[in-house]
Amino acid sequence: MSVAYREGIPALEQVHDEGGRSVGWWGMMFFIASEALIFANLIAAYLYLEIRQGGHGWRLPSEIWYPLINTVILLGSSAPIHYIAAKGIEKGSQRRLIWGLLATIVMGAIFLGGQVYEYSSLISEGFTPQSQLFGSAFFTLTGFHGLHVTVGLIFLLIVFVRALNGHFTKERHFAFQAGEMYWHFVDAVWVFVFSIVYLLPLLRG
Amino acid sequence: MATSTIVERPALVRQKRFSETYIGQWLTTTDHKKIGIMYMVTAFFFFVVGGLEALLIRTQLALPDGKVLDPQTYNEIFTMHGTTMIFLFVMPMFTGLGNYVVPLMIGARDMAFPRLNAFGYWIVLFGGLFLQSSFVFHAAPDSGWFAYAPLTECGVQGVNCIPATPSINMDFWALGVLLLGISSIAGALNFVVTIFKLRAPGMTINRMPLFVWMTLVTSFLLLFALPSLTAASGLLLLDRHLGTHFYQAAFNGDPLLWQHLFWSFGHPEVYILILPAFGIVSEVLPVFSRKPIFGYTFVAWSGVAIGFLSFTVWAHHMFAVGLPVVAQAFFATSTTLIAIPTAVKIFNWLATIYGGKLSFKTPMLFALGFVAMFLIGGLNGVALAIVPFDYQVTDSYFVIAHLHYVLFGGAVFAIFAAIFYWFPKMTGKLLNERLGQIQFWLMLIGVNVTFFPMHILGLLGMPRRIYTYAPDLGWNELNLLETVGAFIIAAAILVFLFNFVTSLRQGQPAGSDPWDAFTLEWDTASPPEPYNFKTIPVVRSRRPFYDKKNPETADWKVAVH
Repeated sequence: MSVAYREGIPALEQVHDEGGRSVGWWGMMFFIASEALIFANLIAAYLYLEIRQGGHGWRLPSEIWYPLINTVILLGSSAPIHYIAAKGIEKGSQRRLIWGLLATIVMGAIFLGGQVYEYSSLISEGFTPQSQLFGSAFFTLTGFHGLHVTVGLIFLLIVFVRALNGHFTKERHFAFQAGEMYWHFVDAVWVFVFSIVYLLPLLRG
Repeated sequence: MATSTIVERPALVRQKRFSETYIGQWLTTTDHKKIGIMYMVTAFFFFVVGGLEALLIRTQLALPDGKVLDPQTYNEIFTMHGTTMIFLFVMPMFTGLGNYVVPLMIGARDMAFPRLNAFGYWIVLFGGLFLQSSFVFHAAPDSGWFAYAPLTECGVQGVNCIPATPSINMDFWALGVLLLGISSIAGALNFVVTIFKLRAPGMTINRMPLFVWMTLVTSFLLLFALPSLTAASGLLLLDRHLGTHFYQAAFNGDPLLWQHLFWSFGHPEVYILILPAFGIVSEVLPVFSRKPIFGYTFVAWSGVAIGFLSFTVWAHHMFAVGLPVVAQAFFATSTTLIAIPTAVKIFNWLATIYGGKLSFKTPMLFALGFVAMFLIGGLNGVALAIVPFDYQVTDSYFVIAHLHYVLFGGAVFAIFAAIFYWFPKMTGKLLNERLGQIQFWLMLIGVNVTFFPMHILGLLGMPRRIYTYAPDLGWNELNLLETVGAFIIAAAILVFLFNFVTSLRQGQPAGSDPWDAFTLEWDTASPPEPYNFKTIPVVRSRRPFYDKKNPETADWKVAVH
């Protein structure tokens, strides 16, 4: 690129940016699409195995209330990052960016803690990935989501530290935007995972 | 008393930074052209590795009761031959070509994410070395390139088969393909965003060169198909190491789940390996026929149609596992359907060369060879879509014949067409024409001598993947013939390597446009400057460089595009 500047040739963005979404936004979007398809495959595998086993519905030995509260917390965590942090930095407010991020990170951590608690109580009841096929499928699907929450949290923590150091401005904050996109994705995919794992057996009665 | 002396200090010579040395320039580059070349050289290295593995297979099978390899080594060699050729040769080769050519073709200065691009390359290199390093540990993958469960779960607790001891062979495979998948996803989203966002002014979607079109479709296939492989091999690793039961029938799991997941990656993958080849041929044939491509829109959109249909045909790999009849009918139908857009392309290519002023330079020969060989591979492929016929020949050498006509007669011929076509752009030198012609004819003969008899052997009942065979089965002569063919192909590759090295050193200078071509990459120096174009070109038709060279008969004046 430096060569191009030296010879007075405009850089990549200057020539090509014709408005619309940024290159980074599109890149992140296709990355997320591909990630979403891994979930789609795991969900397909989950349903396939459930149906092959007789289709009576796989029901967890525990109550649904705990995961339900957890779900509300996770879905709620998408609000502060969007309505406080993103709207804030678009107006140039560092304070709102930092507080919005912090709120989301705390809520995400609570969700993760809740999942760890749920796992440990299931395992203490003898329901493990090794105990039966349902255990394998349950821990893999929800665990893969938990892994994504963890990655999302690390992502947001890095963005948070950068925000504290004042790296983001009204015009330039793509790393934050990418983190927000990823977090919304992690939330949205949980709706599907939750519906398949927890709600579907209820429908079957 | 100290006398102060003025020490004459040597003029400060700035230490050359590592990134400024010759090697450093390559190791630290984010230039799409350098990365493209590194991809291609790496891919070719693995082609030679995979080729040597193929020669070992053919040497073992040359005579009945062969003793060249022991059975376990034979399993490892054929597994690694398939894995290497698909994941480490054809895929990185097309990624490399696309890397080099696509930004030039659409009038961009680089890919959309240059650092991600470099990341993708280094993952391929180390992922490939990781896979091959398994030989050093005597633990090369040994369950075939599609790694069917429950064979891959031998030795896992509760799974009974031979050998019953756990080994890490298939861990190498599963981790290797996961790594290579990361690289392919990075590359694919980079291509998609580059093609969507970085086209030169006037380079509308419907004016893009067909190679760009096919790279775009391929990238979408990668983005949407690779997740199935990621999920499949992730579950395999969990079964092997965490004690889950996904593929274990004894625990209500289902080995067929592997086949469904693997082939819902595996069949789009087949088109990932061939669509860029379609693109290459659609670039080369018009230039050497001195005509525009016939039916541009049909070539482009039949590629899109193939992309969509490729997600609906996966279970035609599984006819013999006892699918419901309805499912068999569905997958047989979708498979024969996909022959339609493919045939559309063949007719377009034929119409392109029809009535043209043909010049039979090496790239043209390979492109024509591609059309002929791929046609054979396509026809025996349609035969395999007929369920009762498939019952007879599934897992026999007939299937091996089919896939090698498509992948060797198809993909490899197109790759050599591309190498001969774009080598002058990449190096400024022409490859030697006479050696190129010798290589082409050796390869054409070699491919048919090697792979055609496999049809007959398949019909005679020779199963694939057998380590050796008894002398009284009537397979001896044809097997020997195939081995001879394999060594003819090896000779052709040696001719190419010799040609490559000598032409690189003392080849004829190519100039910027040796083929009098039509597309933008030829409107740059050979090799192009790091920034590609001094001024970004403005495009007014599908053949922008032709327009520039022939302002009187420019496409946008005489034809509506």
